[in-house]
Amino acid sequence: MSFLELDDLKVHFPIRGGIFNTIQDYVYAVDGVDMVIEQGKTYGLVGESGSGKTTIGKGIIGLEHVTDGKVIFEGQDVTNKARNRAEEYRGYNKDIQMIFQDSTSALNPKKRILDIIAEPMRNYFDYTDKEEQAEVVRLLEIVGLNKDAIYRYPHEFSGGQRQRLGVARAVATNPKLIIADEPTSALDLSVQAQVLNFMKRIQKEYNLSYLFISHDLSVVKHMADDIAIMHRGRFVERGSKEKIFNNPQHIYTKRLLSAIPQIDPLNREQHKLERQAVEKEYEEQEIHYYDENGRVYDLQPFEKDHMVALNPNDKTPGSLADSTIEGGN
Amino acid sequence: MEDKIKSQEVLSETASEQQAESTPPMGFKVIVREFKKDKMAMFALGVLTILLVTTLAWYLRLDADTVMDVNILHHFKEPADFNFGLIADAWNGEKSMILGTDDYGRDIFTQLFLATGNSVLIAIAVTTIIATVGIALGLIAGYYGGMVDNAIMRITDFVMTLPTTMIIIVFLVLVPKQNIWSFIFIMSVFSWTGYARIVRSKALSESRLDYISASKTIGTPTWKIIILEMLPNLTSLITVQLILSYAGNIGLETGLTFLGYGLPDQTASLGRLVSAATTPYNLEFRPWVWLPASTVILVLMLSINYVGQALKRSTDAKQRLG
Amino acid sequence: MWKTVVRRFLVMIPQIIILSMIVFALAHFMPGDALTGKLDPNIDPAQLEALRDAAGWNDPLHEQYFRWVGNVFQGDFGRSYAQQVPVTTLIGSRAANSIRLGLVSTFFTYIIALPFGLFAGRYNNTWFDRVVMVYNYVSFAIPTFVLALIMVFIFGYRLGWFPTRGSVNVSLATGSAAYYWDMFYRLLLPGFVGGVLGTASTTQTLRNEVIDAKTQDYVRTARSKGVPEGKIYTKHIFRNAFLPIASSIGFIFSRLLNGSVFIERIFAFNGMGDLFITSIGGRDSAVIITLVLLYGVIAIFGSLVSDIVLSIADPRIRID
Repeated sequence: MSFLELDDLKVHFPIRGGIFNTIQDYVYAVDGVDMVIEQGKTYGLVGESGSGKTTIGKGIIGLEHVTDGKVIFEGQDVTNKARNRAEEYRGYNKDIQMIFQDSTSALNPKKRILDIIAEPMRNYFDYTDKEEQAEVVRLLEIVGLNKDAIYRYPHEFSGGQRQRLGVARAVATNPKLIIADEPTSALDLSVQAQVLNFMKRIQKEYNLSYLFISHDLSVVKHMADDIAIMHRGRFVERGSKEKIFNNPQHIYTKRLLSAIPQIDPLNREQHKLERQAVEKEYEEQEIHYYDENGRVYDLQPFEKDHMVALNPNDKTPGSLADSTIEGGN
Repeated sequence: MEDKIKSQEVLSETASEQQAESTPPMGFKVIVREFKKDKMAMFALGVLTILLVTTLAWYLRLDADTVMDVNILHHFKEPADFNFGLIADAWNGEKSMILGTDDYGRDIFTQLFLATGNSVLIAIAVTTIIATVGIALGLIAGYYGGMVDNAIMRITDFVMTLPTTMIIIVFLVLVPKQNIWSFIFIMSVFSWTGYARIVRSKALSESRLDYISASKTIGTPTWKIIILEMLPNLTSLITVQLILSYAGNIGLETGLTFLGYGLPDQTASLGRLVSAATTPYNLEFRPWVWLPASTVILVLMLSINYVGQALKRSTDAKQRLG
Repeated sequence: MWKTVVRRFLVMIPQIIILSMIVFALAHFMPGDALTGKLDPNIDPAQLEALRDAAGWNDPLHEQYFRWVGNVFQGDFGRSYAQQVPVTTLIGSRAANSIRLGLVSTFFTYIIALPFGLFAGRYNNTWFDRVVMVYNYVSFAIPTFVLALIMVFIFGYRLGWFPTRGSVNVSLATGSAAYYWDMFYRLLLPGFVGGVLGTASTTQTLRNEVIDAKTQDYVRTARSKGVPEGKIYTKHIFRNAFLPIASSIGFIFSRLLNGSVFIERIFAFNGMGDLFITSIGGRDSAVIITLVLLYGVIAIFGSLVSDIVLSIADPRIRID
């Protein structure tokens, strides 16, 4: 069942300039996005850098000011209320947490691990020192770290360990949703898998939802149930993992999927030709998939669990289907 | 390759378990090591400590009213021939005239300790006030950024361009009944800008780091984020600034008193002792009045500054000696 | 470029207005006025009041302010009550001395700081570098008036190499070669003191810039191409190290004017700083207002010039 909804979410950044430093224009980082998040599921948010995927996450948790649209948590409008100390927003603030990309800067270098992981508990619960310490040790064990860690400082840990500490801190308030902003992009491949597996285990244990933001399709494929593809601040395609990977409809999705590196050296030439074909198609067809301002169209239902941003005025949907080539990935 | 990384991680984990105690990066130990490497800094620290401890002892021992008692008959007495008994006499409150007397016939030797004590205390008071104001403004500007930052920094830049020495003098003349507190207050009004600027620029870059964002997302109140999360990461910067501006404040106070606009005449002060030298005759023929005070100012400033610079080096990994 | 300049100019206008208000308010609230000390204590208070009325000192404050601003725009800064001459004349007669002193000080600053900074940077961690570092600490730490006194005491009185008081020997015929030589000779000691005080930051900046530049890729490239070591320094490193120094010239000059209060006092040098202290003593408010305003405006222009020079010299710093 759903507990968080995004309703036409918009985050615009003003561009200032000129002699008086007035607002000249806006960057439409996120420009009208709808989303429903249910308990226990993982939502992958994919797009190139600058597509606005991180901004969505920050808008939900209140690190960016939402320009327009709504964030609805358990039926209550909580747009831009993340820093509000009022009791009515406590649930929202407590139940949505975040993991950051750069695990080094995400942990205060001057604080001990105990204080770092206990920080959210001190904000939301009335633990005694003993309870608090026991709770921190329990969380450390969940992410596979020794209890001796509590008196150490962040710089004494490796990148993978630090990211696990970040996960432990995010779990400390017993949240419903964790926004994971490229949690493994800065890690070595081997450590990536380790962190991702800890995240999966925690998901099962707590019935957590993840909003998994990444540019790495293979990682998203590993983690997500549902996937949304983002381009120019809007969703171009959204659906279950299978639908997106097996039957991509939007030309941008196809292009993105074709860019996944194939570990198949024998057919290297063939993959290259496929990629070139997709790229050529993208260049030719691009105009049909974006309106005259280059904006992505609204999402239309395409099939069950699958929505695509197609031109609503295009009366020949067959032409879209025709252009679909087999085996986008 | 993957195995190697894994084994490294295991290694680092076991290694950190063996370590007996943990220290935050850039801790006290680094500073101690840096000072041990720098003999000049150790020397400066030693001189400063001796100077401050002796001053404190005499400052507590001496009675200001007795020392500052005017005795025209002793007007500009030359220093007596030195023997250690004279120091003991001075310690017991007698006017031993080891270093002679000033224009009002007051003993220079004992006056020096009172004056140094006053300068040190006033500089502490001024430094405390301006550091508090400047750090608070800098933190707020750096944390919030944008319009708040703009407004605060406009004001700071403006105050910085003012001819502050002159305006402070005008202020000092303006206050009808000058005392130590009004003097401290007026000195502080224009001197906080250095702190605001330096703290703000570090706070600005610090506030963009994810640990601040993380504290926001886990519901820590803003004032706690600023004071408990951000401020500890600025401490080394602030410590250096504290020491350097402390020396600067001693210089400002003695300078203003030297010009005749600082401490009142009946308060012992280094600047007033030095100001005897504005009279050519005193400058040429009565160095005992102004030279000891000048020397004390010089030694104070040099040693405090040197300690500050050594500390600055130790906080900057690039410049560390080892 | 022009945008930066225009914006900096626009920022400057409110700064100058606020400065003028602060200064005017300060001068107004000073205890006593020029008449208090000057006149015979037996004079009739009513007559005194009439004098004050005539001078406009009893009008509402804002009226006095606007009248003053209006006069300022016509070049009229009021009259000095102590010396009974227009303020502009009085300051004009002193300004030339202060500017000469400022220029000589700036000259000394650079003549000391450039070789010190550049060579300490080039040969860092050598004995020369250490000497320069010690010099830096001392010149940074020493208060203006202490240095000035020590210099006067040693070079003026003990050694007798330099005259200790005044800006020129008035007994010499104005305009003669001896007159100009004496004027120049008397600038050397105070100019040196002012110059030394400005060296610490310049030397330090230069030294650090050179050390930084030494490890930069463009220097390594030049070296690997076989450019002679001397040429690397003159053509590549020094040129870049000069950037922040060139831009700080506005600041240095205005700071020297500020420090001149002490230096001019100790050398009994007939400049604006000395005039300021004399006027404060005599509560000569018209002179005080004008001097503080003038110093403030010089400082504001100094930072403007610095910003513009920097934005021309270093394209990365343009504000946009």
